[in-house]
Amino acid sequence: MSMYDDIAKVLITEQQIQARVRELAAELNDRYDDDAPPLFVCILKGAYMFMSDLTRHLKFRHEIEFMEVSSYGGGTRSSGVVRILLDLESNIENRNVVIVEDIVDSGRTLDYILRNFRTRNPLNLRVATLLSKPSRREINVPVNYMGFEVPDEFVIGYGLDFKEQYRNLPFIGVLKPEVYATEEA
Amino acid sequence: MTKMVLPDSVERILLDEATIQQRVVALAEQITADYAGIRNEDFLLIGVLKGSFIFLADLSRRLNVPHRVDFIALSSYADTAEASGAVRMIMDTRADVAGRHVLIVEDILDTGYTISYLQRVFSARQPASLRTCVLLSKPERRVVEVPVDYLGFEIPDVWVVGYGLDFADRFRTLPYIAALKPSAYQ
Repeated sequence: MSMYDDIAKVLITEQQIQARVRELAAELNDRYDDDAPPLFVCILKGAYMFMSDLTRHLKFRHEIEFMEVSSYGGGTRSSGVVRILLDLESNIENRNVVIVEDIVDSGRTLDYILRNFRTRNPLNLRVATLLSKPSRREINVPVNYMGFEVPDEFVIGYGLDFKEQYRNLPFIGVLKPEVYATEEA
Repeated sequence: MTKMVLPDSVERILLDEATIQQRVVALAEQITADYAGIRNEDFLLIGVLKGSFIFLADLSRRLNVPHRVDFIALSSYADTAEASGAVRMIMDTRADVAGRHVLIVEDILDTGYTISYLQRVFSARQPASLRTCVLLSKPERRVVEVPVDYLGFEIPDVWVVGYGLDFADRFRTLPYIAALKPSAYQ
């Protein structure tokens, strides 16, 4: 049994991801410096891979935190309300904050996190995401650093999963429709 | 490696990026061989935040065996002696450990208190197997003997930063492991 049997194609190769991550880090290096060290907040689980590569290229002083959220399921999906399983250790009041996400899809979860963070009065709040699916957007969210726009396909790898599988793949792949079609029936 | 500018609190590079990556690949090959044939649902990597996230990210992407990834976050109790190793689990695993092959992934093995405690906690949950993978070990600091199945490097008793390890939340994301100048923490 291979891990790759369920994958229809590679959408973004490991080399393409790594090159783009370095470009995003260069953009961040242009903007931030040691005078006001920003806090990078990794949204678990999906963003752990992107976070680990992005922050390695940063030249300025910064801190990192992790946040894990879980949707309630049932009828609350459209509201974007999520349960915070792991909150920030530090107070972000008057700090520069960069939220690191794996993918922005409908935008609802990110919008909820942004609204939640704004109540904590950060100095500045920005968003870095590896992937964006603009065709799925239901709510307008500001994305300041974006790796790749992807079509509305079931993407997995580089942190993204299907039923907790494939997160660890170093590339972004597309799942064969028959793999998840049976789940939705 | 090209010449690089070190942060001023850093004394010297102990393990450079290429050395770490080579060792991570070797560990991943060993783990892949040991867990070959196990189904994805049955193999669980547990990363201990924050320190092990870079190691876990690199290790997991080199594994050629399907697995789940989970994270736990810990905090020490203010009123508990260090020797008990007892830590407060701020965030537990999302997956049920029972019946699964569990691999704890940690950045550093120091006194052994914390890892010993985690091993006791997780073995009580009746996993199919329980192993531990640690990037760094400081044997001179050991107080409690803990079994380690996969080890990256043994290092001397100096304050190390980078590749997940911090000093007052700084230097965590350096791609290499460096020794801090004693003047920085004394």
